[in-house]
Amino acid sequence: MRRNPNSNAPRRKTYTTKETVDFIVVGSGASGGIMARELSRAGNSVVVMEQGPRMAPEDFEHDELKYRNLSGITNSPVTNPQTFRRDESQKAERVSGRNPLTYARIVGGSSAHFNANFWRLHEIDFIEGSKLGPIAGASLVDWPITYAELEPYYTKVEWEVGVSGLAGSSPFDPWRSKPYPMPPLPVKSSGVLFERGARKLGLHPYPAPLAINSIVYKDRPPCVQCGLCGGFGCEVMAKSSSVWTVIPEAEATGKCEVRSDSYVYRIGMNAAGKATGVHYFDKNKVEHFQPARAVVVCANGSETPKLLLNSATSSAPQGLANSSGAVGRYLMFNKGGGAQARFEQPLNEYKGANVTRILHDWYDSDPKRGFYGGGGFDARSGGPLTWGQNVPEGTPTWGPRFKEYLESYTYWMNCSGHGTSLAVESNRIDIDPELKDAWGVPAIRVTHKDHPDDLKHANWLVQRAVEIMDAAGAKQIDPGEVGASSGGVHLLGTARMGNDPSTSVIDKYHRTHDVKNLFLCDGSSMVTSGRGQPTQTIEALAFRAGDFISRFARAGEI
Amino acid sequence: MDKPIPSRRQFMAAIGELASAGWIAMNWPQIAFAAEKAGHDMKGMDMGGSSHTALTTLTAAEAAEVEAIANLIVPGGAKPGAKDARVIYFIDNALGSFFVGQLPAFRAGLTEFTNSFCTKFCTSNKSFSAASEAMQTAWLHEEEKTPFFAAVRRLTVLGLIALPKYGGNSEYKGWNLLGVEDNHSWAPPFGFYDIDYPGFEPYPGTKPYTA
Repeated sequence: MRRNPNSNAPRRKTYTTKETVDFIVVGSGASGGIMARELSRAGNSVVVMEQGPRMAPEDFEHDELKYRNLSGITNSPVTNPQTFRRDESQKAERVSGRNPLTYARIVGGSSAHFNANFWRLHEIDFIEGSKLGPIAGASLVDWPITYAELEPYYTKVEWEVGVSGLAGSSPFDPWRSKPYPMPPLPVKSSGVLFERGARKLGLHPYPAPLAINSIVYKDRPPCVQCGLCGGFGCEVMAKSSSVWTVIPEAEATGKCEVRSDSYVYRIGMNAAGKATGVHYFDKNKVEHFQPARAVVVCANGSETPKLLLNSATSSAPQGLANSSGAVGRYLMFNKGGGAQARFEQPLNEYKGANVTRILHDWYDSDPKRGFYGGGGFDARSGGPLTWGQNVPEGTPTWGPRFKEYLESYTYWMNCSGHGTSLAVESNRIDIDPELKDAWGVPAIRVTHKDHPDDLKHANWLVQRAVEIMDAAGAKQIDPGEVGASSGGVHLLGTARMGNDPSTSVIDKYHRTHDVKNLFLCDGSSMVTSGRGQPTQTIEALAFRAGDFISRFARAGEI
Repeated sequence: MDKPIPSRRQFMAAIGELASAGWIAMNWPQIAFAAEKAGHDMKGMDMGGSSHTALTTLTAAEAAEVEAIANLIVPGGAKPGAKDARVIYFIDNALGSFFVGQLPAFRAGLTEFTNSFCTKFCTSNKSFSAASEAMQTAWLHEEEKTPFFAAVRRLTVLGLIALPKYGGNSEYKGWNLLGVEDNHSWAPPFGFYDIDYPGFEPYPGTKPYTA
């Protein structure tokens, strides 16, 4: 009998701050968990630093108010505030009631609260710069790696972390070396209607690949179809979040400690220009220093650049690993557009995994459209509390007709388009000159303005969503509004990889160009945005980076 | 005889000690159901929750005015409205805990709302809540673009749909209005349209395959 490592596990390894460990991994999310597993399985001593607490399965709740409105497990605008502005001529201000950039602040990071849509990038994603560039006002460049180099690691994600799906069902899928280890989850009414409408239009919807168990897999149960994936932790452990998958496996090596409630605010450096460890606050806001031979930052696309910029030294006054000036720049969110639609009979979208059907017919950018941009669609549900906040145009916001609208909740679904965002140099994360967080650490300032092509593409996606829902037989369609982005949860591109140290932050092995024993791996590494579901790519990059970093360590090249 | 339903924590602890995968498949729906039932009851203490059934933030007079507005936003009738779902207790709880920062502006807005109403309509210090429904409705149309109305509306919707532990959605009446059943796990078919789904039909030229 295999022992599930999530409960009553053998006593976990701990290190003292007097010990110099081989690696510190900052962040325990999609990439940090995998990095910890790969490095510790390679025989290295590892300490994972996580800002937030460690939650057990029974700590997660189906509480939409707490998780979607009160920062229950995400960075809070009260304790972790940020500011936002459109361009550098403006003074950045705090946004009322929320942060522009949102991520989960618990062990498992955003892999704990994601929707679990696991889309691979396609071959074109890695070479769009040479195929479609240049684009005025953007920095569309090729990745320093290809799909073929990443494919084995995509497969590793699917089998090691756990992804359900139906290989070969989409004519637009990139090639793959193995099928999914689990069959797809059962379709729900939104998936059936989405498929019906799309097929009528000659499109090719197919079962959604999801990082959710559809059968018992790796000692974790199948999904119980509770309906609350995005924004929530999965208390049954069916969602393939790092906290249930790779982190227990890292700890099982006896070489890895996950240190929760530990907020890293600066990377230590010596006179030789090498990282020496990390400075952090513990749960009681007491400062410590953990020494290490190397540091791997997997803190997400917002916290990674923040940490580098807050780690400036006299010899690196613009921030660590920032000789290119690219740290924090090229921030991408994944711009999207869609429609909500009402049908004759109840769908009950609050039941079942959030997504069951997707399509990639419009994945590639087509110059004939007159703008850059590509995307995918899914049929998607939303929780009732979130849904009830807004009404379609023409529906009263109060009174008997508003009440009638509330009564129609179970008849609605979303057709959501997820698309590209162009890398723009001026879209960036830097440090606010005045604002500090609850620990006294200088806070994030976001500067962002959509590239015009992103807005055109988002509007194009809305039109396609309306067509699909109309073909599906919707009685009422509420097209989404496309407005200027004011933040996001996909935090990409802010420490981009590249071969040229003058234009990128890390090389193709995730080593920073400037600091030999400092590595970065998360959404910040991505060179282009993909089409809206970045987590599988982030995890594939982490498996690949962990592989190479382990080799460097064995060869004494760190 | 029905099987006894262990506590949520007992269920969760058991997950780590499972003897077989089959055990999970056989037992999980029951586990999850019991777990969530307990979870609704026990969580949220740090956010002002747990059976909030008395006013602790608003005065009785303030609450009467706010409840009157809320019950125009989601009126009662054949199906429950804001008053039936005891939304006022959610609003009171929220403004005294997780939305306490909004309380000063809310109070100022309420004062302006009632004073303006009185200035225009009161002949004998009659309050908004004591006015006729027609008069209330007419006044709310005049106020519906104000930040105060937006705040009451948002709180009303949240109070209608958030878990009962926060004070509103009494006896899940808000969920009943929306057609949402209180359960933790579901099995297909989920809705009308997936009942007769014939299965995924592959496209010409594709060869779906599984492990």
